[in-house]
Amino acid sequence: MGVTRRAFLITGATLGGGLALAVGGVGAHIGLHNRLKHQRSGESESSAAGSLINLWVRIAPDNTVTVLVPHSDMGQGSQTGLAQIVADELDARWDQVRIALAPPETAFANGKPMQGFVSDAVAIPDWADGFAEKAFFRLADLMNMQMTGGSTAVRFTGWDHMRQAAAVARDMLLRASAAEFNVSESELSVADGVVSHAASGRTLRFGELVGAASELGPRDVAVKSPSEHRLIGSSLPREDIPRKVFAEEHYAIDADVPDMHYAAVRHAGVFGATVSRINNENEIRARRGVTDIVFVQNGVAVVADNPWRAEQAAKALDISTAHHANQAMSSASLEQAQRDALADTAEEASATGDVVTAFADASHTVTAEYLAPYLAHATMEPMNATVWRDGGKLHVVCGVQNPLMARAHVANIAGLDFEDVVLDARPMGGGFGRRVAFSMNDAVPLNWLTDAVQIALTQDRPIKMVWSREEDTRNSVYRPMVLAQFEAGLDNTGAPVAWRSTSFLAEADVRAVQPAYRIANQSIRFAGEHQGVPTGFWRSVEHSQHGFFKESFIDEVAVAAGADPLAYRLSLLDEHSSEAVVLRKAADMASWRYGADSDGRAMGCAVVHSFGSTVAQIAEVSLQNGLPRVHRVWCAVDSGVVINPQAARAQVEGAVHYALSAVLYGKCDIQDGGVVQSNFHDYRMITLRDAPTVEVELLTSDNSIGGFGEIGVPPLAPAVCNAFAVLGERTRRLPLIA
Amino acid sequence: MVQFNLNGKAVTLDVEPEMPLLWAIREEIGLRGTKFGCGIGMCGACTVHLNGNPVRSCSLPVSAAEAQEIQTIESLGTRESPHPIQSAWIEQQVPQCGYCQSGMQMAAAAFIAANPNPSDDDIDNAISNICRCGTYDRIRAAIRQAAQEIG
Ligand code: FES
Ligand code: FES
Repeated sequence: MGVTRRAFLITGATLGGGLALAVGGVGAHIGLHNRLKHQRSGESESSAAGSLINLWVRIAPDNTVTVLVPHSDMGQGSQTGLAQIVADELDARWDQVRIALAPPETAFANGKPMQGFVSDAVAIPDWADGFAEKAFFRLADLMNMQMTGGSTAVRFTGWDHMRQAAAVARDMLLRASAAEFNVSESELSVADGVVSHAASGRTLRFGELVGAASELGPRDVAVKSPSEHRLIGSSLPREDIPRKVFAEEHYAIDADVPDMHYAAVRHAGVFGATVSRINNENEIRARRGVTDIVFVQNGVAVVADNPWRAEQAAKALDISTAHHANQAMSSASLEQAQRDALADTAEEASATGDVVTAFADASHTVTAEYLAPYLAHATMEPMNATVWRDGGKLHVVCGVQNPLMARAHVANIAGLDFEDVVLDARPMGGGFGRRVAFSMNDAVPLNWLTDAVQIALTQDRPIKMVWSREEDTRNSVYRPMVLAQFEAGLDNTGAPVAWRSTSFLAEADVRAVQPAYRIANQSIRFAGEHQGVPTGFWRSVEHSQHGFFKESFIDEVAVAAGADPLAYRLSLLDEHSSEAVVLRKAADMASWRYGADSDGRAMGCAVVHSFGSTVAQIAEVSLQNGLPRVHRVWCAVDSGVVINPQAARAQVEGAVHYALSAVLYGKCDIQDGGVVQSNFHDYRMITLRDAPTVEVELLTSDNSIGGFGEIGVPPLAPAVCNAFAVLGERTRRLPLIA
Repeated sequence: MVQFNLNGKAVTLDVEPEMPLLWAIREEIGLRGTKFGCGIGMCGACTVHLNGNPVRSCSLPVSAAEAQEIQTIESLGTRESPHPIQSAWIEQQVPQCGYCQSGMQMAAAAFIAANPNPSDDDIDNAISNICRCGTYDRIRAAIRQAAQEIG
């Protein structure tokens, strides 16, 4: 569908004479009128039905180009990347570009128009395919441009939409200039925010053209070809970094509202259970600073005039938990239930060839069982929110990956209209999927917002609620625990002819589970339903478990075949495939060698495609005093296009470290229906001492643009475990240090 | 009453002597650059300087600051006159979410003041702050750069 059907022009008084370009389409859910009004007054107002538009680019008479970014920041640098895309396509000067965060405005609950847009305008992206029909609402939100996560920001918002809006704007400026100079467009050139007519030496800045340009209609224009890019592909410094270095970034936890009090929460300790009694209420109320005790959904909150007083009082609460069926739940019982499900109820999700015959004919079989444990996200900033009433409005300061959904959630909890909730979405002290507003089951990731709203509604003053690290660790929406069983059949040359995997939980996209390799007969099976532990999205989602399983198992198969695991992988890949290209590149970078060195070091490799990008990693490890140590990790990435190489590299480096905490230490054990671990002493994170040096090479290709936020996670666990296997320790249950 | 010197200014607080310095600084005084991450001295997000030494303010009772000099990230440097650690942090593009970084920078600033020529091992052993975004590689590079600059 052409640009013009999707491009809308906003001119005149509403913008003080500027030119603004909006592109409607998938995820175009934002009431334009509403948003402009909000920007002017800071007030929100309901949108007119049907005015579903996203506003991306605004050029003002003062020559500034403002890029409205609908994604909150959680450290990915996508704001800068999006602005780069716009500035490049527009041929603006980098220093005339401003970045502004779009407010969380409405029309979001407007499922029908969204559905129409989705089905008629754009194909469902590959990664969403698997669950698209299951839950349209979730798909809508994934496509929703106010989602920060799923590595969507630069790929969909930027590459698909903003780039077009910018191209259309550039074309209008060019035509306005041609009219002004009374020459043909072909005689003009655009650079650094200026349109020039070389023959006469005349020039006009963008700001001088916006009035005339806004009188013109948008038309279909082609976006630049890669060879014309100037800013796309360059490592411009991230705009958010100075704020973060000079402590100017205001996270939700830094909210400062006059007269506020503080709330700390003590939860029941059993998933889904409520607190039935407080056994020392008088004692708690008598403590210094304590002003109230409030019951919330699954716990009790103490309100006080200082956060430490509130927290100390909450810790001193003597509570009784109401009986709940989940009380009987433990890691052992959950694992047994998974094993039983695998044995009894497995159903085939995809099949190639004839595995039964292939296994019967195989000369050798390899089997293995793997387990990935529950994991909490442990964002550096614990869950918190500040909530207060003012007139008929409820104000909320929080850090969320989907501000619109969070606003709807708050309205729902408070029994208010959507329009009566004013949501201030702050930069997040880490997201990693924890602050996504939805899950694949009935778990409610915004449970902390529910607490904060329930508390604030009972109070006459603003309330800042901060979960302690202990409550944060024990009340997350966890990466699901998954048990997986594998079987491979080899022919007499050692080549795999049959592959069968049976894994718990059908929520995974089958493509995340399928091996990348040429194996003629395959069967992918799933068993079981969501268990009682609330689960959600954890950086790279199902790829984090299934990347570990399938890339560990292919390594075991290679070893059984007596082959170098990297060469074995290459022998099963098309040599031009992304997987083969990045594997060869990583092997080069690391000077790959298979087998333990004389100094006790060994390498392991893995390659995983996720979120549109393919990543190969090689980890170099050793055992020091019996403890695993990861020295270096080499990463080769094919993401098709790279907008900002240094920001992209940072995401991969960070993902390696994030994944390494999980591989070495990460697990949440379940006992008596709750999580055992509570804080960083028993839910350990790597520090500098454990942190390997990470080298990242970015390859570009003709593949369509891939994500960066998550893709560095999946290969790390198998690469590390495959390396330790060389040293004699094959790990099939994470973490390494239990 | 507790009295101490905060970023060069005398402050007096009427709080329990056992209240952790972190909460006194953040919510009684209102300087919120110092962050809360764990409350048990494990993560270092709350690192401030006590007479120039890095301390974890979540685990230090405010009484321990009595008559001492406390410095927080707000006094480390400014955009106009950045501390070498801050310049290096920008040059190496260290922060991701940024939440750990004020504690990280305070730990690093105290470290290079005492170790002008550190090896990577020295850095790794001295600084045990947690960064969940995994900016460790760049932290090492930035500390080396800043140390060189002051050394
Ligand atoms: S908050 Fe003080 S060490 Fe974590
Ligand atoms: S930058 Fe996010 S925790 Fe360090």
